[in-house]
Amino acid sequence: MSLTHLSFYSAFALSSLGLAFHRTHLISALLCLESMMLSMYIALSIWPIENQAPSFTLMPMLMLTFSACEAGTGLAMLVASTRTHGSDHLHNLNLLQC
Amino acid sequence: MTYLVLSLGVCFVLGGLAVASNPSPYYGVVGLVVASVVGCGWLLSLGVSFVSLVLFMVYLGGMLVVFVYSVSLAADLFPAGWGEWPVVGYSAGLVLALAVGLGVGSFEGWKFGVNTVDSGGVVSVRLDFSGVAMFYSWGAGMFLVAGWGLLLALFVVLELVRGLSRGAIRAV
Repeated sequence: MSLTHLSFYSAFALSSLGLAFHRTHLISALLCLESMMLSMYIALSIWPIENQAPSFTLMPMLMLTFSACEAGTGLAMLVASTRTHGSDHLHNLNLLQC
Repeated sequence: MTYLVLSLGVCFVLGGLAVASNPSPYYGVVGLVVASVVGCGWLLSLGVSFVSLVLFMVYLGGMLVVFVYSVSLAADLFPAGWGEWPVVGYSAGLVLALAVGLGVGSFEGWKFGVNTVDSGGVVSVRLDFSGVAMFYSWGAGMFLVAGWGLLLALFVVLELVRGLSRGAIRAV
């Protein structure tokens, strides 16, 4: 494996593991999601460089656009649930009780 | 200087590790800022300056600023940094999981060397400039779709944080 590929691949894997494990705050999970988006942006930017294909440079731009939408929506949900529950602790989100 | 790109890649992984190990959100944002700065430097040393500066402005200057002041909602009395034992244990476990995944997967050897922008010869217009410029000519349809998506996200956010009796998330 190329070492540059290993870098963003392992950063993505670490961030997704960080998203999966239990943590105290909701915003820590959102930060792991942002880290996944960052490593995907780097990967999508390196791919047209390696293949010398200019038109694929558009892909990281679009990905960043929609990731900004997703970050905004996630933070809006964070604000809404903090207003309801008083804090953003994940163990307060227990309405389903399964 | 030979190993600049390699060391930037290592710092990128360390920034990701700093976010994924479970510190207080104040410190998690630091890891994310470090990772994005190092990622910008990585893209710059490969030659794509436009894409790198877009990352700086939109991601670091737009999204992370919003995250930083949203972190104020998560106030811990004693924030856990990277010297606390639970966080060190988390990062050690994550590194162990990554090492096991790398060891189990079969690979022949590490390939050094990167392709930069000028690998195929120098062109009059740089690779990323000419590529993103296509967004406004051939990609006009995608441009409109992305603009519509952004407008939609604005109204979604406004509806989520409405807060009066018609709000989306309320206690029953």
